[in-house]
Amino acid sequence: MFFELIRLQFLKSIRSTSFAKSLITNIVLGLVILLLLSYVVLAGVFLPRIIQEITGTEDTLSVLNSYLIYFFFFEFMYRYFIQQLPVVDLESLLHLPIGKRKIMHMLLIRSFFSPMSIIALLLFLPSGVQVVLPEYGSMGLLGWIGSIVLTSWILHWFMLWFKQKFEDSTIGLVIVVAVLVLGSGASYMGWYNLGEIMKPVFDFAMTSLIPLIVLAIGLVGSYYLCFSYYLSNAYLEDLSEEENVRFTDQSIGFFSRFGNAGEMANVEWKLIIRHKKSRTYIMLSIFFLLYGLIFYTNPAYQSEDGISPIFIFVGVFITGIFMIQYGQLFLSWNSQNFDYYLMKKGGVEELVKGKYLLFISISCLSFLASVPYVYFGWEFLIIHFATFIFNIGVLVHAIIYLALWKPKPMDLNKGAMFNYEGVGAAQWLMILPMMGLPYLVYLPFSLLVSDYAGLIALFVCGIIGILSFKVLSRININRVYSNKYEISSSFRQEL
Amino acid sequence: MIQIKDLKKQYKEAVVLDVESLDIPATECFGLVGNNGAGKTTLFRMILDLVRPTGGSVSIDGMEVTKGEEWKKITGAYLDEHMLLAYLTPDEYFQTLRKIYGMTEADLEAHLSKFTELFNDEVRGKKKYIRDLSKGNLKKVGIAAALMGKPEVVLLDEPFENLDPSSQVRLKKLILKEKEDSRITFLISSHDLNHVTEICDRIVLLEKGKVIRDMHDKAAMMTELEAYFTG
Repeated sequence: MFFELIRLQFLKSIRSTSFAKSLITNIVLGLVILLLLSYVVLAGVFLPRIIQEITGTEDTLSVLNSYLIYFFFFEFMYRYFIQQLPVVDLESLLHLPIGKRKIMHMLLIRSFFSPMSIIALLLFLPSGVQVVLPEYGSMGLLGWIGSIVLTSWILHWFMLWFKQKFEDSTIGLVIVVAVLVLGSGASYMGWYNLGEIMKPVFDFAMTSLIPLIVLAIGLVGSYYLCFSYYLSNAYLEDLSEEENVRFTDQSIGFFSRFGNAGEMANVEWKLIIRHKKSRTYIMLSIFFLLYGLIFYTNPAYQSEDGISPIFIFVGVFITGIFMIQYGQLFLSWNSQNFDYYLMKKGGVEELVKGKYLLFISISCLSFLASVPYVYFGWEFLIIHFATFIFNIGVLVHAIIYLALWKPKPMDLNKGAMFNYEGVGAAQWLMILPMMGLPYLVYLPFSLLVSDYAGLIALFVCGIIGILSFKVLSRININRVYSNKYEISSSFRQEL
Repeated sequence: MIQIKDLKKQYKEAVVLDVESLDIPATECFGLVGNNGAGKTTLFRMILDLVRPTGGSVSIDGMEVTKGEEWKKITGAYLDEHMLLAYLTPDEYFQTLRKIYGMTEADLEAHLSKFTELFNDEVRGKKKYIRDLSKGNLKKVGIAAALMGKPEVVLLDEPFENLDPSSQVRLKKLILKEKEDSRITFLISSHDLNHVTEICDRIVLLEKGKVIRDMHDKAAMMTELEAYFTG
């Protein structure tokens, strides 16, 4: 029976709509995960040397041991944000005579099979082999790496329990913030050094198997804590993630000046802030506003005469991240009610125009928010202005044009992290013109005349684009109309 | 067969269900009617221990549903499509249930042969996942699944909804035959007064979570219900 449940889980994952639909996305995603994991291994290999470089001591092991606790704080944080609860398909099994215990064991064990479970091992095994093995032998290595891995796994079960128990409550958030403050703040403020306090525990693990045994018991204990909590809460109402609609008026008055298109922009805005996936995209655009800090302060990109070409890319990104991110899934956001727009007179036109309005408004906001970069020099303001005009004049049309190539349906209620639903070949290929277009305009002038001539070229192109907005947007609107049967049948998953 | 005592469900202030006492004897065909929001589905979910009761208890065949899980062996149910495994084809789903209920291939074949007419060649042998089936066919799969494993109690929520007229008649015949042959206790909720009065021996009317009528007289049911729903 247990085997049957595992087989069902396997079928579910290979047949999930996002998996089956696009092979290329899965291959790319798989490669990305492999790449990230290999970075972790590399970091592990070079960790002892990095510690030597930074601290200047030869005794890397004691430094490593005194900082290990901070790794677990970090792990606590990323598990809190990324780790998913494994309760999704409870409803289809609960009424069958299988037994809740079996179902729960299966769901919990399945949640364990994730790349997160091996990060600690990948990161610390290479360092352990270099540092612990020569000094303490294989038993020492076993005790040390075993304690680390077991602690990481205890965190896995603990986090499943913690997130379910405190999901969306302020207590949960308070605890997370408290952990963060206690973890990083305490030693920084000089109250006490947590790393030094915890160091003997990891030192002890190299000479004795007692910590390993204690942690193994802890692992079993945390599993049962988690298991018994999930078991006693195996009800539809407890485990479903039903979001309370916040009935505040979230309309943006400014949009209402633009008639029906403005109304659509308002509706779209509500769609964005009421769904998990789209909210993450908004957060990302805010986050990317800081992107310039990495590049503008980096001495590698500073040059005496003119502007480093990379700054064009940064400018395009800062002022246009929202349209690039959100726009690449242009119609997929409306996949669940696309038929509504189709059957409404002029509905598609208003929808597309509303999205234009929204993209341009948010781009405007991003530009305004990026004005403080003027601190690093006036040229950054000019770069941002030129790329901003280029974004709303030219790039927005290009993104939408490409996004209309075989749009795919997606579920807005799932998180955005590693969720590539709705992403097809088009979204991957789109990166090329998005990166290329600005340079296509900028580079010839910049190389032949001067960097500022390149910026002027971008600006002029943008102005031409803005002046011919009607014609350009008409191309995209007609593109929706001419593909409407394909698009709506793909959204209904009839393919 | 089913005993309900002081069953109550409350979301914050709002009481959505409050049933003082309800006793459904074995082999009875029990009909549940009421307007939207009367608490029909909530009652069914609480009988199946899918929703946690605020107070009171439900027992199936003497077993309290929140205390153990033995009763699941004699209970079949189809409330909505979430109860199906949407990523399987109907045939794979029936095979999975066959293993869960410990039936042989022959048992399954015998069981599904009863549904040949209802399925109308649109369910079995198709390379289509359950999630891609039409609403009517989903319902047919769910009902066939609910009747698997020789249940003694079967709960069906709106079984006639989304079915075409001939399928509705076929389903009605099927339920009546099962009731006759296997002595199953049926609990059926429906908005279709004609169907429900035709197959059920007893009809309970819910209003705002409370039982307001409990009718046993088959002859008078229809007029009484019509008077309530039109008035």
